[in-house]
Amino acid sequence: MKRPSVTSSAIPLITAMIAVAAVLLPIFLADTPWPVGARDYLQENGFGDSGAINLVSAIYLGYRAFDTLGETIVLLVAVGGTIGILTRSGAILAEGYTNPDTVAGIDSSEEEIPSFSLAREKRKSHALRTHLLEVVTAILGPIVLLFGFYVMLYGHLSPGGGFQGGVVVASGIVFLGLGNRMESSTKLTQAAVLGRIEAAAFLLLILASISGILLGKGFFGNPLSRFTAVPEGFIIMLNAIIGLKVGAGIGFMCIAILGRER
Amino acid sequence: MIERILILLLFLVGFSGILARKNIIKKIFGLTLINSAAVLLFVVEGSRVGSQAPIMEQGISQVVDPIPQALMLTAIVIGVCVTALALALAFRLYQAAGSFDIDEIRRRVHDES
Repeated sequence: MKRPSVTSSAIPLITAMIAVAAVLLPIFLADTPWPVGARDYLQENGFGDSGAINLVSAIYLGYRAFDTLGETIVLLVAVGGTIGILTRSGAILAEGYTNPDTVAGIDSSEEEIPSFSLAREKRKSHALRTHLLEVVTAILGPIVLLFGFYVMLYGHLSPGGGFQGGVVVASGIVFLGLGNRMESSTKLTQAAVLGRIEAAAFLLLILASISGILLGKGFFGNPLSRFTAVPEGFIIMLNAIIGLKVGAGIGFMCIAILGRER
Repeated sequence: MIERILILLLFLVGFSGILARKNIIKKIFGLTLINSAAVLLFVVEGSRVGSQAPIMEQGISQVVDPIPQALMLTAIVIGVCVTALALALAFRLYQAAGSFDIDEIRRRVHDES
C-alpha cells in the first residue's frame, strides 16, 4: 500500500482535526438543562391524541405527519435518482462483477476451486457468491420479511414503526434476491414489481392524508377521531403504507445495485 | 461524559475519512459516520431527562424526551438516501474514469481534455 507524501499531508490534516474538535467540543459537551415542557405534554396527551402508545410513532405520524410526507418524497426522489443514474449508465453492475479484474480469482482459476463455490455455469452471473450464502439467505429471507411486517404493524405498541419495519423488509428482499439457489425467483425481487409497489404506496399515502378533509379535519387529520376515543387505526394504516413504501424503495435500490435487473 | 467524547471521536473519524482518504467510497462512508455521530448525539441529549423508553404502557412514568428520537428517524432516512445517491454517483464516475481514486480520476479527466 503506497501512500505518497504522508508527512506533508499529515500536518494539515491534524490541524484541521484539532480545529474541528475545538469547534465541536462545546456542542458535544454542553450541559444546559434539557427543557421538559414538550416531554411532559406528550406524556400526558400523546396517547389520547393519536392512539399510539409509542410516543415516537405518535409524533411522526400524528403531530408531525406532514414532515413524514416530505420525508417519503425525499426517499422517492433518491430512489428515482439512484435508479436513473444506474440504468442510464448502460448495463448494470452485474457486468462489473464479471470483468476479469474483479473476479480474477474466481473464474480464471481452473484447478483450484473453493468447496463452497457454485457450479461452473452459474459462476459468471453469480460472481462473488457461494453455496453457503445462497442457502442461508434463501432460508432467512421469508423469516426476515415476516419480522419486518411485525415491526411495521406493531409500531404503535412497541419499538418500531413504518420506517424501521420497511428497512427490515428491504433486507428481506435483498436476502431473497441473493438466495435464488433453485432459480425459483419470486416476484418480490423484480425491479418493476418493487417500483409499482412503491408508487402505489405513495398514492395511498396521499389519499390517506386527504381523507381527514372529508370529515372536517385538516390535512393529515385523523378521520377516525370522530368515531372512537382512541383513534389508533389511522396510525396502523400509515405505518403499513410507509413500511411498504420504504421497503419497496430501499429494496428496489439494493436490487438495482446488486445487478439483478433484467 | 465518556459517551459524548466517544461520539465526538466517531465524528472525527468520519471527518478524517472525508478529508484524508483518496478513495471515493471511503469518503462516502465517512459521511455516513458523521451522520451516525449526529444521530447518536441527539439521542443522548434527549435521554437527559427521564430514564425509560417513550412507550406509555402501564406504570411507565419519567420517559425520555421522544422528540429528538422522532427527529432522528427523519435524519436516518435522509442519510440512507444521501448514501445511496452518492454511491450511485461514485459508480457512474467509476464507469467514466475507471477508478475510485480522486487523484487518478483527476489525472484521467485531465488527459482526455
